[in-house]
Amino acid sequence: MITISINGEMKDIEEGLNIKELLSKLDYGTTWGAVAINATFVSLKEYETTIIKDRDTIDILSPVQGG
Amino acid sequence: MNDKRKDKWKIEGKEFDSRLMIGSALYPSPEIMKNTIQASGAEIVTVALRRQSEGDKGNNPFWDIIKELGVTVLPNTAGCHTAKEAITTAMMAREVFDTNWIKLEVIGNQYNLQPDPFALIEATKVLIDEGFRVLPYMTDDLVLAQRLADTGCTTLMPWGSPIGSGRGLMNPYTLKVIRKQFPDLQLIVDAGIGKPSDAIEAMELGFDGVLLNSAVALAQDPMMMGEAFKHAVYAGRLSYRAGVMQTRDMASPSTPTVGTPFWHQFK
Repeated sequence: MITISINGEMKDIEEGLNIKELLSKLDYGTTWGAVAINATFVSLKEYETTIIKDRDTIDILSPVQGG
Repeated sequence: MNDKRKDKWKIEGKEFDSRLMIGSALYPSPEIMKNTIQASGAEIVTVALRRQSEGDKGNNPFWDIIKELGVTVLPNTAGCHTAKEAITTAMMAREVFDTNWIKLEVIGNQYNLQPDPFALIEATKVLIDEGFRVLPYMTDDLVLAQRLADTGCTTLMPWGSPIGSGRGLMNPYTLKVIRKQFPDLQLIVDAGIGKPSDAIEAMELGFDGVLLNSAVALAQDPMMMGEAFKHAVYAGRLSYRAGVMQTRDMASPSTPTVGTPFWHQFK
């Protein structure tokens, strides 16, 4: 197991998951979302090749109201 | 409408009828937001990105409404305090909203949410190199405007006053100078507009558009206020194009003095 921060919450997850697998396991939608790892943007086409590492900070953002 | 009054607005490669840009936040309900945007006639709507909740599965009723409205979305980088945060948020916004437009906000002071001019320039350079069309939210500083224009911005969005303050145009002089110095850039007053007369003032200064949110969302009747702003922006633009008369120190009668009747003859 590894420990990550996902949208501000600490979570223990299995080792070796890529972003696509992680989002699917946690029921996050990818249709209208975008991902950053350690404050760096990860594009949709990189989801399957980006492996989550221990202590990674992951942000999954989706559209909200804005001014 | 006669031809002289036709006034399409071209900004960042797109054409619009309305020069009012409106925010999607702070409305009492999603339904009121939708109705207000429609009543305002705005064709460009600002949106943002925030953390998604676990288990969302991509459901997003807010985003469904915005799509249904068929407006052009302008994502912002609200809440970013460094160039890096703003760059990352812009990249994420481009993927989510499928647009290379970004309302670039980098906040430098938490008290009045004043933009950080240095970080703004730093982020603008990177984003323009990455193919973004950057619409920077900035202070009304002439030198900053020059630097941003030099960086490649074709639209600038100086504040009227701090975000959400409703204080109107704090310094019309600086806005006027920016207008004069950059006749070819699209200029939008973004933030601080409190009432329709503020929007008229901005448009009469020759600004190309107005971006606001709180002024409609926090009104007693947002829909009615949206409509009021629609007319105000239009009126202000017509006024600017029509050319306002010169002010005079002395009074000058508007009624002809020739043929003035009897009550003057005994003086």
